[in-house]
Amino acid sequence: MKRIISLFLSILLFHSCEVIEGPYMSGDVNPIDTSNNYVKKVLIEDYTGHLCSFCPDAARELDVILDVYPNAVGLAIHGVNNFTRPYVVDSVFNSDEKYLYDFRTSWGKDLDDFFEVSANGLPKGTVNRIDYSSNGNHRKDFAQWSSLVADELEKEIKFGINIDITQTPLMLSDQFDIIINSEALSSLNGNYKVIVCIAENNITTWQKDGTIDDPNYKHKHVLRSFLTPTWGDNLAGPEINNGDVFSNAYTCIISDLENDNINYSTTLPLGVGNTGQWNTENLSIIAYIYDISSYEIIQVEEKSFISN
Amino acid sequence: MEMKKNYLKKYKILFQNNMKNKIFIFLFTFFVLNSYSQNSGQINGDFSLNLQSYVEDEAINAQAADEVVLNNAFLNLLYSNNNLTIGLRYESYLNALLDYDSEFRGNGIPYRFATYTIDGLEITAGNFYEQFGSGLIFRSYEEKGLGIDNAMDGIRLKYKLGKGINLKSFIGKSRTYFTYAEGIFRGADIELDVNETFNIENQTKYILGGSFISRYEERTNPIFEIPQNVAAYSGRLNILSGGWNYFGEYAYKINDPINSLQESEMNYASGNAFTNSLTYSQRGFGVTAEIHRTDNMLLLSERDRTGKAYIMNYIPTLSKPHAYTLLAIYPCATQAMGELGIQLDVFYKIKKGTLLGGKYGTKLNFNFSRINGLEGGNSMLNDNVDFTPKLFDFSEELYYSDINLEINKKVNKQLSYNAVFANQTYNKDFLEGKTPGEYGTINSTIAVIDLSYKIKKGHTIRFETQALFAKQLESASQEEEGDWLMGLVEYTISPNWFFAFQDMYNYGNENKDKRLHYSNINIGYLKGSTRFEIGYGKKREGIFCVGGVCKLVPSSNGLNLSITSSF
Amino acid sequence: MHKKMKKALIIFFTLFFSINTYGQEKSLPNVEVKTLKGKTFNIKNLDNDGSPMVMSFWATWCKPCKKELNAIAEVYDDWQDETGVKLIAISIDDSRSMSKVAPYVNSSDWDYEIYLDQNSDLKRAMGVSTVPHTFLINGDGKIVWNHKGYIDGDEEKLFEEIQNLVSK
Repeated sequence: MKRIISLFLSILLFHSCEVIEGPYMSGDVNPIDTSNNYVKKVLIEDYTGHLCSFCPDAARELDVILDVYPNAVGLAIHGVNNFTRPYVVDSVFNSDEKYLYDFRTSWGKDLDDFFEVSANGLPKGTVNRIDYSSNGNHRKDFAQWSSLVADELEKEIKFGINIDITQTPLMLSDQFDIIINSEALSSLNGNYKVIVCIAENNITTWQKDGTIDDPNYKHKHVLRSFLTPTWGDNLAGPEINNGDVFSNAYTCIISDLENDNINYSTTLPLGVGNTGQWNTENLSIIAYIYDISSYEIIQVEEKSFISN
Repeated sequence: MEMKKNYLKKYKILFQNNMKNKIFIFLFTFFVLNSYSQNSGQINGDFSLNLQSYVEDEAINAQAADEVVLNNAFLNLLYSNNNLTIGLRYESYLNALLDYDSEFRGNGIPYRFATYTIDGLEITAGNFYEQFGSGLIFRSYEEKGLGIDNAMDGIRLKYKLGKGINLKSFIGKSRTYFTYAEGIFRGADIELDVNETFNIENQTKYILGGSFISRYEERTNPIFEIPQNVAAYSGRLNILSGGWNYFGEYAYKINDPINSLQESEMNYASGNAFTNSLTYSQRGFGVTAEIHRTDNMLLLSERDRTGKAYIMNYIPTLSKPHAYTLLAIYPCATQAMGELGIQLDVFYKIKKGTLLGGKYGTKLNFNFSRINGLEGGNSMLNDNVDFTPKLFDFSEELYYSDINLEINKKVNKQLSYNAVFANQTYNKDFLEGKTPGEYGTINSTIAVIDLSYKIKKGHTIRFETQALFAKQLESASQEEEGDWLMGLVEYTISPNWFFAFQDMYNYGNENKDKRLHYSNINIGYLKGSTRFEIGYGKKREGIFCVGGVCKLVPSSNGLNLSITSSF
Repeated sequence: MHKKMKKALIIFFTLFFSINTYGQEKSLPNVEVKTLKGKTFNIKNLDNDGSPMVMSFWATWCKPCKKELNAIAEVYDDWQDETGVKLIAISIDDSRSMSKVAPYVNSSDWDYEIYLDQNSDLKRAMGVSTVPHTFLINGDGKIVWNHKGYIDGDEEKLFEEIQNLVSK
């Protein structure tokens, strides 16, 4: 009898609890190790939609994470679904011209369909696409992101990526040559692909934010285009030696990419091609390498088109 | 010899691969075989299969499934022998029906347990379901219809400490789909029957209870302090005297912020909830009055997750669970983050032989419920904000209200009817997380008449007529769904057959293209403890709730087959 | 994954069929429920002095359940006189509607023995997946017959089963 009581008591004693008194900020932000030339970086893909009222919470979380962790890279992905459909141009029912912009891209759709994100509710995201499983373990709520980012940054760096962007000095001012050099930083055994895409920062237009429709919302790190196929170009494998360097070169003409998206938009429900007016000053290249067996992204790099 | 070796090798590999489940299955088989030789144990269980085909239907926005046919199935198996019970459940989702979360995918044995009772101590190892008090701080349960199963996996002890004193304690993790959430839960509950313990012979009976729950989850956050252990406790009191019954429970949860880096998302406020009910009943008459309030009282099995699969406490909805379709078209769901609700139920039976009572008597049930938000929302606390809402304020934004009367009467040996009249107000924008002004608040008046006529022995025909008249309380930017009509004819032959045809018609939809019929035909065959049902038709997109939890059921069109069986 | 499942399935089905061939009479499980007076009661202690018992799972929100129990309530006196049967109604209402069980039962003039199975422990132990589900228990406390669902007129079939049991 006594034993049993003490058993219950001992279980109870485990129950320590922590009421935390303010101030709640601990303030000890870890400094970043920059001793190596290449540093491990992490990609957070935030699946979002301009009609998703809780999505700005995730976008703001991403912003803070990028502030706190300079080695984190963010990308906002719009699939093709009820959260991303544009409104109809209608002077009566939509006199404020809300939500006319079309953020949808074919690559966003491919990724959203494959990782089944929006079908299971937004906002959700992936962190380096870790934990990929048909049961959806890869879909992470935004409050999970920061600790996963911290974990990912602790991992060993396997590749270093260097992005080189050159504007072609011709009359075609929006043509760029992009060279991605990937250097193996250890001997590896596996198959890797590289993906190169373009993101645009600070697109100012409508967004549902909680209970308000915000016309001046800044959409950040918006996926615009892929220079590789959705699942990337072959990089290397299966045997890779420390120090091997792989080079992938791409040429892009911004206005052509823009037109591709405009054409794509017109094939979609409610799409009228309202997806142009890219601002080259806000564009950046994001290049990342993933392991094709697990989909896990093992390194990512970002570089602005206009780097001064 | 060689073969045997190979077999052993194979066996060993298999064993290592799935140690847990394997051990269980072996134990299970062992006990089963054992029981047959001694003829003292018994086995029972149940089986359920639900197959649905999905055909695309653009008009109702129904999607065709890539798989064409989807499947949910499970088999429960229980072995019991005196003081020992062993059980397991095999579940199969290939792939899960569209109204289930897609995380339910594949096959497995996510539920297995053994329970042993000795000297008043009950020990459970493996999975178990448990509820403390009314569930305000902890409820582990399954609700197959909603796709909820947050079974615990761990150890539970129950002990009768003395006359009228019951102790429960456990440690474990909670199930989410085919895995377990990160949080480790520890809990204890004590219930004391005062009269029994202290040998009080009294008309009035007092039962006291107290519960404690703690969740451990390791978190690091570079900006904010995060509590790794989060505790919640509750106390309850039940007083019974004659026809009276009072039950009250108060629950409290310490600070439980999510692991965000944004100041605005951080909430260090504690949470609390209470529920009170007072019941009086005597022959032919009964009344129940209830009030509950919640503030910041969502308790999750993993702090950073969203979704119903992670909810670990149960705050029941304070409204009548309706069984008729149009009465449940706009269902209420509890807002664990903050709401204040009241409910009143009156049951009355008009006596036999009176003018209104007729030969068999007439049963009446009046129900009223009203739920509104807290003034200024839920409690909030961080370095910039410190807010606590007023305790009682019934004038805040209305979430839901329902006033209804149900009349149940048997007219003669052949004819009986059930009629319901209701007026409901449903804040669609708030309850479904829309932007204010998008769908507004809908007020609907609903009438249901359900007639049963016995044709001859064992043959009964039943007609259901339902109508819903909707009114928009504020103008909405989206199209209104408007009025509905529904009719149902059911023919049953006891004890084996039933045939039903029903049609729902959204004749009042603001959009003329959406004035659609949703028809269904169902045939069922029952034999003993097995039931077969086959149905074909269209289902409307809707919200389906039980208790405080809801799921969104997408519209669908197709064939459905279900088999349930117990043994 | 697949191999494991195949094996498990095979075990299940062998068990399933062996049970069917056995068809043994089952006892009531060792599960605790609550009375309307708040007392804890172990269902294995159910007893009716050697007369049969009917155990019916129901809920206040379940239309066919209430139909069944109301239909039986009208003839319950006759049943009791003839066979000595006792009806045990197990409510599976959870904390949302549990407080309405007593008022509903009392206002309906039911003379049944009522128990509350708030978190469905008994429901699970007896393999009940949907309500209503009715069990017939003989004088020795063994389950001899059970029936899923309720169709108008089913109570007559149930009564035949009770009469068969008593006349044995």
